[in-house]
Amino acid sequence: MEFAASDPSILARRLEIVAALRSIVPDGVVADESGLAAFDGDALTAYRQKALVCVLPRTKDEVCAVLAYAAEQSVPIVPRGAGTSLSGGALPRGDAILLSLTRMNRIVEIDYDNRCMVAEPGVTNLAITRAVQARGFYYAPDPSSQIACTVGGNVAENSGGIHCLKYGLTTNNLLGVEIALMGGERVRLGGKSLAQGGFDLLGVVAGSEGLLGVVVEATLRILPKPPVTRTLLAAFRDVPAAGQCVADIIAAGIVPSALEFMDRRCIQAVEEYCAPGYPRDAEGVLIVELDGIAAEVSDAVARVAAIARAAGASELREAADESERTRLWAGRKAAFPAMGRLAPDMLCMDGTIPRRALPQVLARMAAMAMDYDLGFCNVFHAGDGNLHPLIIFDVMKPGELERAETFGAEILKLCVAVGGVLTGEHGVGVEKRDLMPTMFSQTDLAQQQRLKCAFDAAGLFNPGKVFPTLSACVEQGHMHVKQGRIPFPNLPRL
Amino acid sequence: MTDITANSEADVVDAVRAAREWKSPLNIVGARTKRSFGRAAASWGTVLDLSGLSGIVAYEPEELILTVRPGTTVAEIEALLAAKNQQLGFDPADWGPLLGAPANAGTIGGAVAANVAGSAAVRYGRVRDHLLGFHAVNGLAEAYKAGGRVVKNVTGFDLPKLMCGSFGTLGPLTEITLRVFPEAPLSATLAVTGVNAQTGLTLLRRIWSSPLEATGLAYVAAESVAAIRIDGAREPLAEKLALARDLLAGHDVFEIDGGDALFRELGSGAPFLDTALGVWRIAVPQASAAQVAARIAAPLWYADWAGGMLWIGMNDTDLHEIARKAGGHATLVRASEETRRRIDVFPPEPPERAALTRAVKAAFDPLGLFNPGRMYEGI
Repeated sequence: MEFAASDPSILARRLEIVAALRSIVPDGVVADESGLAAFDGDALTAYRQKALVCVLPRTKDEVCAVLAYAAEQSVPIVPRGAGTSLSGGALPRGDAILLSLTRMNRIVEIDYDNRCMVAEPGVTNLAITRAVQARGFYYAPDPSSQIACTVGGNVAENSGGIHCLKYGLTTNNLLGVEIALMGGERVRLGGKSLAQGGFDLLGVVAGSEGLLGVVVEATLRILPKPPVTRTLLAAFRDVPAAGQCVADIIAAGIVPSALEFMDRRCIQAVEEYCAPGYPRDAEGVLIVELDGIAAEVSDAVARVAAIARAAGASELREAADESERTRLWAGRKAAFPAMGRLAPDMLCMDGTIPRRALPQVLARMAAMAMDYDLGFCNVFHAGDGNLHPLIIFDVMKPGELERAETFGAEILKLCVAVGGVLTGEHGVGVEKRDLMPTMFSQTDLAQQQRLKCAFDAAGLFNPGKVFPTLSACVEQGHMHVKQGRIPFPNLPRL
Repeated sequence: MTDITANSEADVVDAVRAAREWKSPLNIVGARTKRSFGRAAASWGTVLDLSGLSGIVAYEPEELILTVRPGTTVAEIEALLAAKNQQLGFDPADWGPLLGAPANAGTIGGAVAANVAGSAAVRYGRVRDHLLGFHAVNGLAEAYKAGGRVVKNVTGFDLPKLMCGSFGTLGPLTEITLRVFPEAPLSATLAVTGVNAQTGLTLLRRIWSSPLEATGLAYVAAESVAAIRIDGAREPLAEKLALARDLLAGHDVFEIDGGDALFRELGSGAPFLDTALGVWRIAVPQASAAQVAARIAAPLWYADWAGGMLWIGMNDTDLHEIARKAGGHATLVRASEETRRRIDVFPPEPPERAALTRAVKAAFDPLGLFNPGRMYEGI
């Protein structure tokens, strides 16, 4: 991955910029080397870069003041939540202000009558559920980083999780946001009502990866907790049989709350790591979770069991109690650390494919792993076709990072080739930025960039993310010029 | 100018290219069932008729994915899906008759453009929650695509959301990919009779806040009835109905026949068919519904989506402000042209929001060629 060089005219003004931010947020500016080291990247650990300066506002007004200053001075902004992005969405830039929202962490309102909650962007995902669980409610999107990741980051990345097969991604559980625009204006999109008027701008802000605005408040739907949850494990001696089982469950009209697949490599790694009791001779295991009211779940469990047997499951068992259920899930949730133990570095890919392509894609990936001579395993949100191949490597060994990245890119190209997409829930960020042309034509990408320009004509929000090439905002054939400055004056114009 | 008929994406590109050349706007239509929905503008331009751009591109029942051309009728899609025990998740409502057009004629492109979702949207979401991807032509006469053909996708901006409810003002769609859902094996409807709006809507919210996953939650003021539709296989359905009855204890509860027909009528505004009333839809936070309805005191009204959507029959009153103050917004779905000249059809936007709307419009349609003025002046 190539990064653009920092703008020297901004670097030259660093002290002045730091001082200005201190006047806006006196107790919330990090500008020293060691302090900035704590913010030098996110969960895409292969990349590290120190920010120009990091500012941590506590209020909407402070966010707006920072944005007004940044717009006036043409300094880019990189918004940041907890820094758990797997695609480098919050990777800092040497010439950009890193805007951390973690100190805005108040739950503003819990409104049970309207089944929603209003929260500041720095509230963690899990804190939403914790705040309402005593009353029997929860917040459905549950990315694996939910203990740390924040509401603002979830909106920016349109985060998913294990249960989005039944309950949708963040965008389907988001009623409204207030965003701050470059320049410091604030706009409310949506609210507590189910539909919003005018263009569905809320829909495009969700998943916009910090390129359109900064979420300063979000209104989230909370759901009643299902009274019964049951979990099945089905093991298969060959991958196509497991794939068929998944297809048959979905085609039968059953909507599990989770439907997870792990391949043989993953099974072996997690068995070494925490021994969840998966059959070691299996080529793949499925974990199927069903929730709802008792009779409905019983009915679905019986049907899933029959489908799994018919598909040739070599073993089928149901967690008898909560501790066994936790153990079944422990293996799935340990896939990351279990693989991480085998090598110092790991890449987690995130393509989505049509479910029917699963056997073909897995077979092809195994062949590629041989070519690239790298360890990998596959975990897969099978119900919605979202693959998470984990590639392990050692960044200290010459060429391994590049090989791992090429392997990952080849996997994602394969996903697109079989009718899928580059990312199901992790976002494009910097990680998949240069692959965008494999899925979208230049015309497709230009249309998306025009939307970006509608929100951020000067191109100051999170530059270098999502789009492989930066095109200047053009209005009716003229370049957008704001306050006498052309955007990105340091970029060559060809 | 005479109408332009487009039967292919290339035809649409040609039409837009010509419109650019002549600086002449296009009035994009499908089956023309919603032509009276929108601002009364002097002219939306030359008709660009997409009804011939129709047909199923791909239907993969095992993947729960459907790709169609925009001129395909919703009725044809529903028949295709029903043969595989599947359905459109957003419960497409037929607003044709309400708007003075034939029944069962509307196209999927029109349903997406107007974001028309029926009663079951309370459980499964609106059109915007189901449109996975599309192809379209922008104001530069370029064909482009966005989204994808899988249910889980965050690659690039979620332009499909933006297309839903944009009334063609961002350009003509040429291909539409939707997720589809399995049909419920059975459904049953409970009616709670003799309840006023406050009580009826409170009971609906109680069901809505339970794990019963009701697919219809309506209050019909004229009948003083709250109606609750619940889906499931035989045994689970019986258990759900028993649980619902527990939550409704102390009230008169009857299981009624024809629940699906009732919700179809409510979702399509059928109660207003034989009246001369103007028809508003007002989205409000559920808990405000009874209060808002009382303040409006309309001669005919009902609530869908557990109170989240009020259907109001009323003439000559601007309800935008009352909706805004309640934390919601109003849309004037049916009214005479004369009324639509005086009263905004879509909710007025505050200045900073209106600026974004203008900028987004220009991002797709810089010359203002597509249905100009249909939603807002200059949009």
